[in-house]
Amino acid sequence: MARRASPARLVVALGVAAMLAVFLVYTAIAGGTPQLRPSELNGRTGEVALIGKVVGRVSGDARGSGLRFRLRDVEGTAAVPVVYRGSVPDLFRSGRDISLRGELRNGTFVGEPGTLVTKCPSKYTDKKQT
Amino acid sequence: MPELGRAALIVCLGLAVYAVAAGAFAAWKHRRRLAESAENAILASFGAALVAAGVLLVALVQKDFGFVYVYEHSSLELPRSYSISAFWGGQEGSLLLWLLILTGFSALAVVLGRRSAHSLLAWTVPVLGGVILFFSLLLVAVASPFATQAAQADGLGLNPSLQNPYMLAHPPMLYLGFVGLTIPFAFAMGALLARRSDELWVVVTRRWTLVAWTFLGFGQLLGAHWAYVEVGWGGYFAWDPVENAALMPWLAATAFLHSVMIQEKRGMLKIWNVLLVVGAFALALFGTFLTRSGILSSIHSFTEGSIGPWFLGFIGIVVAGSTALIVSRLPLLRSKTRLESPISREATFLYNNLLLVAFCLTILWGVVYPILTEAVRGEPVTVGPPYYNFFLNAFGLPLLLLMGIGPLIAWRRASLRGLGRTFVWPLGIALTTGLALLALGAGSSLPGLIGYTFCAFVLASIGLEFARGTRARHALSGGSWLQAFSDLVGRNRRRYGGYVVHASIVLLAIGIIGSSAYDTTREQRLRTGESMDVGAYTLTYRGATQERGANAMELRALVDVERAGDHLGTMRPGKNSYFAEQQVSNEAAIRSDRRSGEDLFLIAEQIGRDQVFLKVLVKPLVNLIWIAGFVFLGGALIALWPDAREQRRLALRYGGREALSRA
Repeated sequence: MARRASPARLVVALGVAAMLAVFLVYTAIAGGTPQLRPSELNGRTGEVALIGKVVGRVSGDARGSGLRFRLRDVEGTAAVPVVYRGSVPDLFRSGRDISLRGELRNGTFVGEPGTLVTKCPSKYTDKKQT
Repeated sequence: MPELGRAALIVCLGLAVYAVAAGAFAAWKHRRRLAESAENAILASFGAALVAAGVLLVALVQKDFGFVYVYEHSSLELPRSYSISAFWGGQEGSLLLWLLILTGFSALAVVLGRRSAHSLLAWTVPVLGGVILFFSLLLVAVASPFATQAAQADGLGLNPSLQNPYMLAHPPMLYLGFVGLTIPFAFAMGALLARRSDELWVVVTRRWTLVAWTFLGFGQLLGAHWAYVEVGWGGYFAWDPVENAALMPWLAATAFLHSVMIQEKRGMLKIWNVLLVVGAFALALFGTFLTRSGILSSIHSFTEGSIGPWFLGFIGIVVAGSTALIVSRLPLLRSKTRLESPISREATFLYNNLLLVAFCLTILWGVVYPILTEAVRGEPVTVGPPYYNFFLNAFGLPLLLLMGIGPLIAWRRASLRGLGRTFVWPLGIALTTGLALLALGAGSSLPGLIGYTFCAFVLASIGLEFARGTRARHALSGGSWLQAFSDLVGRNRRRYGGYVVHASIVLLAIGIIGSSAYDTTREQRLRTGESMDVGAYTLTYRGATQERGANAMELRALVDVERAGDHLGTMRPGKNSYFAEQQVSNEAAIRSDRRSGEDLFLIAEQIGRDQVFLKVLVKPLVNLIWIAGFVFLGGALIALWPDAREQRRLALRYGGREALSRA
């Protein structure tokens, strides 16, 4: 067992160490975005990803003053008003589940441009329910 | 008819149970005839799956709305080709496709294995049987494609985004890739169960891994192209969980394809290779689980079905079982040789593996991060594209560099002086390219500049390899240069096929860097007659048109495009409103420049008679990504092509008939 100091192990150990280092650097500078439902928002500031169902009438102009609608818990009643400017996916409409990033300002959730994503509707469940 | 389908699935399940039980008993007690009957059960299971798939296909083509699956995934007006793609448009059909490909590949592996590696088959058959068992059980008990109902007049139709030629090819290709990874896994487990310490399983499964890896890679590029052309948001990859689900097994398989060479040549990295094979297979299962369980919010997750826990359980069994097996066989997996120097071909392969696996694991970490944080903190936290892009740079750029170093460095131990001589040309070319690009203004993105410099380095070193080899062959055998070149590639298909694949990855990198680090995006509202400048282009709005198409109302904005005073034509971005599905879809307009590989990408919103909101993207070099797909396919085919000389060499090494003809 005199050959215990194998370069292979050294390389692996160094590699793993380097990887961890990169990882720590990254989590130190960035970190993720919390994902919340409207009911969990209550007064929280800072950037979050909001997931919910679009309810009621959609008004306004996504390219002008902003698209306005209410976002409700997918299963629940709590809802929050949302204003969003930027590109809107084809599938967006009232009744759809969406996610968007942004932050709460004065009781209104202000979306970041380009972060509105509609979830693929579980196929034709609307029709099936009727 | 549905009874026939259900019966076929039950027969398939029974055959799988038999293959597991009889196969394992035969392998344990060395009963040759029983082992052969277990192999035959695998062959027969393919027949059964074929019958089941046939029943569903006929039902789809005949639009038999008595089948719940047909009712939910097609309609009377759906064209026939998309009736076929409805086969994998839903969960039950997708699982049946998995089973069909799985049994087909397993049967082929048995047939080929009988000729080339019969001694390995004994324990491989029960492993294959186990995987078939899982999928047929799911189809029989949990998600049957043959559920029936009172016949309906018309079906609900297929999701419009799946009514697309790409969707005829992209999902089956990914499935061929996912399922293909089962075969190397089964052979690796078979070899361990049989307590074998030789490299035969590696040799037998190389082509299987290569085929699965090729399908997976090409399938992903098809998906990317579909997203780019059809979804129309201006991108081709969004680090969505389901996209990552296909990327992870591909990365693991890429690492495996490289590290098996070390095991073949030097008898090293045996444990690592087994771990990679298990990892790739488990990630393929995990990918299917992610797509089908709806556990993560993804734009792709199709159903929040009941199969999630089943998949999780099966992944658990696979990971726990194979880990236990590997641990119990550790003494067999000791390396015969050791790494001699950190500057050698072996070492660069090792670095490449570490980087690929590290990248794969960081993606996995990002994908499961919301699940983990929800479990720990009670609140899911997601990581977005910045997280993935950071690691793409951190691990991808060194990988790119290694691709240029690896092929030129000597096996076992390279001297520094030798290295200097070898790399003088590639280094010179890379530095010149880097400086030239800097002078041209590419310094606006540091990762981009580094990436392009590395790309030049890799292309130069690949070119050097081809040039040197051709010159040596020419000196040896005379004849024409072309003859020498084709001899060179023909006699070393694996090696030069691999270099062609490397070149395709460089093209891919050039395209990705160009279109993401050096792109231009502008958004502006234009009145009729007004113009905007984007890059070298001038765009003028000329008004809107509306036409009634076959199944949609087509609204288009007419935009004149000029560059340096030349009129390049009129582009027509717009929206389609589908009548039946009551959906609006964005129809982006793309103008590709053949010479520069650049795309002008237009998205029109709020199209009106006198104004429009235009989003314009200029994406330099993006077309190289699609060209890379074909180069990739070509390189993979060269590496896959049967090579008689190599087979003779392997026959000598493994003795007799065993390796004479391989899978």
